[in-house]
Amino acid sequence: MEITITLRGTLKKLFGPDKERKVEVPDHCTCDEALRAVGINYKEIPNFGFVAVNGMRVMIDDKLSPGDELKAWSRISGG
Amino acid sequence: MKRLKFAKEKCIGCQLCAQVCSAMKEGEYVPSKARIAIETYYDNGNLKYNDHFCILCGMCAKACPVDAIKIGEYIQVDMDVCIGCGACADKCPKHVVKIRDEKAYICDTCKGDPTCVKTCPQNALTFE
Amino acid sequence: MTMLGYQNKVLRIDLTKKGASFEPLRMDFAKKYVGSKGLAIRYMYEELDPGIDPLGPENKLFLTTGPLTGTPVPCSGKLSVAAKSPATGTMNDCSIGGHVGIRLKYAGYDMVIFEGKLSEPGYILIDDGKIRFMDASHLWGLGSHEAESILAKEYGTEYSIMSIGPAGENLCVMSCINSDYYRQAGRGGIGAVMGSKNMKAIVIRGTGGVKVNDIENTTNRIMELLRESVVTEDNQFIYDDGTTAFLEACNDGGILPWKNFSDTTDEKWTEYNGDVLKQHRVGKRGCGSCGLGCGNFLQIGDAICEGPEYESISVAGPNAGVRDPEKIVKFNQVADDMGLDTISAGDTIIWAMEMTEKGIHDFGIKFGEADKMIEYLKLMAKNEGVGKDLALGTKRASEKFGGTEFAMQVKGLEYPQYEPRGSWAMSVSYAVSDRGACHMRSYAPNEEVFAASVPPYTGENKGQLVYNLAEFNAIKFSLCICDFWGTIDYDIMAELLTIVTGETWTAEDMSTIGRRVINIGRAFNQREGFNRSHDTVPKRVVTEALKSGPAKGQVIPPEVFDDMLSQYYQVMGWDENGIMPDDLVASLL
Repeated sequence: MEITITLRGTLKKLFGPDKERKVEVPDHCTCDEALRAVGINYKEIPNFGFVAVNGMRVMIDDKLSPGDELKAWSRISGG
Repeated sequence: MKRLKFAKEKCIGCQLCAQVCSAMKEGEYVPSKARIAIETYYDNGNLKYNDHFCILCGMCAKACPVDAIKIGEYIQVDMDVCIGCGACADKCPKHVVKIRDEKAYICDTCKGDPTCVKTCPQNALTFE
Repeated sequence: MTMLGYQNKVLRIDLTKKGASFEPLRMDFAKKYVGSKGLAIRYMYEELDPGIDPLGPENKLFLTTGPLTGTPVPCSGKLSVAAKSPATGTMNDCSIGGHVGIRLKYAGYDMVIFEGKLSEPGYILIDDGKIRFMDASHLWGLGSHEAESILAKEYGTEYSIMSIGPAGENLCVMSCINSDYYRQAGRGGIGAVMGSKNMKAIVIRGTGGVKVNDIENTTNRIMELLRESVVTEDNQFIYDDGTTAFLEACNDGGILPWKNFSDTTDEKWTEYNGDVLKQHRVGKRGCGSCGLGCGNFLQIGDAICEGPEYESISVAGPNAGVRDPEKIVKFNQVADDMGLDTISAGDTIIWAMEMTEKGIHDFGIKFGEADKMIEYLKLMAKNEGVGKDLALGTKRASEKFGGTEFAMQVKGLEYPQYEPRGSWAMSVSYAVSDRGACHMRSYAPNEEVFAASVPPYTGENKGQLVYNLAEFNAIKFSLCICDFWGTIDYDIMAELLTIVTGETWTAEDMSTIGRRVINIGRAFNQREGFNRSHDTVPKRVVTEALKSGPAKGQVIPPEVFDDMLSQYYQVMGWDENGIMPDDLVASLL
């Protein structure tokens, strides 16, 4: 299925000049699997923050649907 | 000849330049005695800048009645000769010169390797 | 034995007698509490008898620096401003940025204590060692911005000015103290403490310095840390966006409040977000010794402010049902000028909106009425019209008019803009914070929302989580280091204290002192009569399910809240009623 991946914060640089990427991923894969499909392994990024699907935060192992927008954030700290 | 340059749009007014300058020159964090004084402040709803840093114009050297000030790649004050008359401070267009205890204190760009430039966290100060 | 970094001097000002005296710093306190927040609370525990009136002459105002203040340690330019709180009756310590803290330190003081009360409106001049009591009759009644402007013209840029607006003069429990126009000691009615002492302003210049050992190597190491840990990619968002970065993150995270915390998320958040505000940016500014420069100076229409920060955007924006960035900025500007805390004043007005819409009491304002919201700030600051009732704050106003279920406050301090139904531990953070509902003690979203692994909608292990975050901020704000050096850790803190003071501090010390700072704040409150019954959660949070966003359907079951609270007490070693045992209190002194 096709989804869009957008990166925020310091993760942005992982996509170079692209603001977002449309990618083909296995049907109903998890956020974690989708990110790995574009070479992002969240466990290896020390300041990996959280993920949101269609503007709503989800857990990293939640499943995606076709056409979803997956946003990955780096950590932002402060208050 | 290299001179200090200040890009005010990059300055965040942290005054680390003056703190570190005073550390190196006075052995204490005492910005009032630093050879540089840059600050930002609000006035009437506007953000303003006071940028007192040496531009190596040489007016101080010209003004000195006892020839205590030499200007080459950087300014050097001969403290044995200086009488603290303040003529240099009066003429300095950037108001950098400080007269204290009958001596003139003028930025010498740390002899061509300015610490303030290395310190500025936003690269507002350069030496070029 | 004195330590370097400190001035070893406290300035005590007697406003009643118009006198001033110097005394040595209690180094025994400093060894146990370091400075700023911790040191201020320890002094307050020592000097403020239980039961005093926060608006009476027996309350004292403590301005407290830390050993790092006035050194080039990045993000060390904040000042603790502390007193007993008129809003809550608990201890209160605020943190103000700008340059005033550093100048107080250069003037030669670790701490300045204001006691008593002036017989008529005045301002205090602290010019290095020269202390003067000045007439402020020409300033009383003016907005904080106009008063600061007049004093700035008289004294020049070498002087920092702290001032209150009409809200502080009128003893509003939501009044703040301003400096550099747009920086605040914001919460808990700290402005009213100054107002109750007839102090309109404090003017400060410091031409002295701070000594450390081996200054060249110490400075070089500090500069290394500046480059390696502070001005880094990870922290770049602070320069680029400041706290506006939290708007999208909180919206995605399901904790951005909507219409008085009745729901979360706003699909139209891009109408007033950081990108929109950036288009109106005139300049950047940071505090003294900052490396990051979070301040965004904006001009949009005739609205000007340095900000607005996430809290102000949220309370005057989605939480008020408003999406107009110009109105949000104007709200911020007027709040600053009137000398009102945007969080508390904003929360009170949006409570009034819900009261009006529900027909419980007509305060004459509904959600979305941005212009009225701004007008109401002035009425509250001046105690006029409907402002007389709203100036009471949500706790007292809801006790009078009803609507306590959605009066979002704890102990009389209003809720910051993070919805706890989207981050369950935050409900406990708000409940147990030392000064009422505050997000700067234990910032739960850091772990529950902005990180991948901790599930937000459960109470499991949350007592420990609340503690860990509280301990970290407690020691950090005692050094003190600004919140925005987010990548600092206990090793760096210990190293900084060691190289600056010449004494050896360890990472373990940081943890121990953090815990101690939490406990001394609790001990102060306990002595005032506070216990578990005051560590509350607004009814809305435990009875109403959210309708939108990632946390849709979430509500915190009251038994889960109770369980998280009990967990926290266990972690702290307090009893089931939240009371500290005597030997624990004794160990703090």
